[in-house]
Amino acid sequence: MIVKKKKLPKVFDYFQDEDAFAGGISICSGCPMELLLRFMSKVLGKDIIIVGTPSCSAIVLYGQNIGSWHKLAYYGCLMTGVASSATGISRYYRKIGKDVTVVCFTGDGCAADVGFQPLSGAAERNENFIYICYDNEGYMNTGVQRSSTTPFGAKTSTTPIGVARRGNETTGKNLPFIMAMHKVSYAATATLSHLEDLAKKLIKAKEKKNEGFAYIHVFSPCPTGWGFPMDLSIEVCRMAVRTNYFPLWEAERGKFRLTRKIKKPRPLKDLVRMIRKFSHLTDEEMGMLEKEVHERYKLIEGMTRMMPLEENP
Amino acid sequence: MKRKYKGEVRTITGNAAAAYGAMLCRPDVVALYPITPQTEVVEQLSRFSADGLLDAEMVEVEGENTAMNIAAAATISGGRVFTASSSWGLAFMYDALLQTAGFRAPVVMVNVNREMPGILAVSTGQQDMIGTRDAGWIQIIAEDCQEILDLVIMAYRLAEDFDIQVPVMVNYDGFYLSYLSEGVNIPAREEVDVFLAPLKEQPERPKLVPGGPLGCGTHGIEKGFVELRYKHCAAMERAKKKFDEIDRLFGESFGRSYGGQIEEYRMEDAEIALVASGSAAGTVKTVIDSKRKQGLKIGLVKLRMFRPFPSERLSRVFRGKKAIGVIDRSVCFGWNCGPIYMELRALSPEIGLIPIMSFIDGLANMDISIVHIERMIDSVYAASQGKPYQRVTWVVLEE
Repeated sequence: MIVKKKKLPKVFDYFQDEDAFAGGISICSGCPMELLLRFMSKVLGKDIIIVGTPSCSAIVLYGQNIGSWHKLAYYGCLMTGVASSATGISRYYRKIGKDVTVVCFTGDGCAADVGFQPLSGAAERNENFIYICYDNEGYMNTGVQRSSTTPFGAKTSTTPIGVARRGNETTGKNLPFIMAMHKVSYAATATLSHLEDLAKKLIKAKEKKNEGFAYIHVFSPCPTGWGFPMDLSIEVCRMAVRTNYFPLWEAERGKFRLTRKIKKPRPLKDLVRMIRKFSHLTDEEMGMLEKEVHERYKLIEGMTRMMPLEENP
Repeated sequence: MKRKYKGEVRTITGNAAAAYGAMLCRPDVVALYPITPQTEVVEQLSRFSADGLLDAEMVEVEGENTAMNIAAAATISGGRVFTASSSWGLAFMYDALLQTAGFRAPVVMVNVNREMPGILAVSTGQQDMIGTRDAGWIQIIAEDCQEILDLVIMAYRLAEDFDIQVPVMVNYDGFYLSYLSEGVNIPAREEVDVFLAPLKEQPERPKLVPGGPLGCGTHGIEKGFVELRYKHCAAMERAKKKFDEIDRLFGESFGRSYGGQIEEYRMEDAEIALVASGSAAGTVKTVIDSKRKQGLKIGLVKLRMFRPFPSERLSRVFRGKKAIGVIDRSVCFGWNCGPIYMELRALSPEIGLIPIMSFIDGLANMDISIVHIERMIDSVYAASQGKPYQRVTWVVLEE
């Protein structure tokens, strides 16, 4: 009797190793960051060194007490020292002539705020490692405070809604673009709804890190902090791409390419209405958020025309 | 191109001596960031690298914090590292400094002592070193350019010893030593290789390797953490005798030794004593020689190791003395005295209840002059004769 094998989705072709993480990790249900870590370890393989910080990811990477959740080499350091520690590790291995994949895994608070100086420094020196920032637009581990990637109008515990103030007043840092403009070997945006795109970018980052710095900015919505049902995480990711709130692109040495062109973008309202942190927005405030999103998209689109990166052969 | 270094006697500055010391020890990774008065160390190391004398990964970092993080991570990966800083740079790497010690990463760094009350106090003073005394680092202090070079070499032997594995900070006075040119006997690289060779024969320390399940920084909480602290303290205790031993072995190899944790100068029959550290010790020795000619039985204890504090040897050397004066180039806030003085006072039960006097002098490039030292000795002598004495003296304010 012929047993018809169920065909696995295409993304399985990219997996090198099994999941290096144990099941049942105690982190918020529906967190895309945990999925990202598991996915990353499958795609990049076990022979990596992860550099991480105190953050939501620490819960997955540190383990609890003396028990670890995973089998990977892990260097946990302070938020100020991620890019620098990775520099130290990769430089030492370069000195002894051993090819090693060092992966920094941090949140936006580390990458865009307190650890930005070493990140920018390492990017400028074009150090040979991968830096992955999972962007949940705030300090979620400490209880949802704003960071410099928090979008305009968003409600956080440090930008509350009251009679005198109405959410985050600034538009936030465009960190992936800033990193790409360091003219690093590789910079890209990715998210968990487009796994094949993410896998390709991880693999490309691993290749490109031999030439220099590779940066991947992953949109990672936080069900707990943003206020949406935990089964909608991936839907939020998908909607962020479809509304051009989070365009998917990659850049090599300052040359840009959109990896996912949205022909008919959905209105931003479709994304915003899924998320409670935007629920208070007035039409005027919504217009300001739309303007910022539009401008950011135009910037990337413009770059892909002015400084185009050729398609892969 | 890699070049050999045969060794020579040259007139070089303290900063250059530190750089030569580092270069001879063959670090794998060197993290560099300039700051007055340390800058020349950075420049000299870059010169060595360009000239093929230093085969290391040179990282010209964007800040001191990065320098220390690089040093710690490269060491945990298995490498030998070097970095140097001073005052504000040391402060900017404070979090990384604590983490390096917490990781027990055997980093060796040079700290060129400088004052730090505001940006303009570009002058010598040990306050930066004192500010990090409880960071978990071994802190040693050099008196002259030759000792700087020798201490850097000894520091690697101490830090990387399997029984120690604690980072070492080599301190020397900014301006007084950093820019002072002296004749320095620079050993050949082969000699240094031989001196450091025993480090390779000891068991390998745990290293961060890809695929290896080593988690760093995942310090346990509660009892596991207490145990880590306990072991760190125990290693610091072991470092005292180890430093004495390394100093002796260094003497056997290079013909120069300094006495280990402390240098005792004319202490055998001394009735009263001064305690000093760093570049001022030389001046104190000169004054002691002249006072000895006048018949005063006085000696000097030069503190070479501040962390761990050489309590056993200090207790022994001061037992039976009549009075002690301690010269501090920094202050201890909240106690209104010098920090070395304060720590020495903790040894009172061992030393006996004799007058111990604190002299705060030499802050912000003020010379610890011969006149100052003579006045200190006069006060200590008077105290030893049972006369009432002032516990703390801010020397320049009493002129």
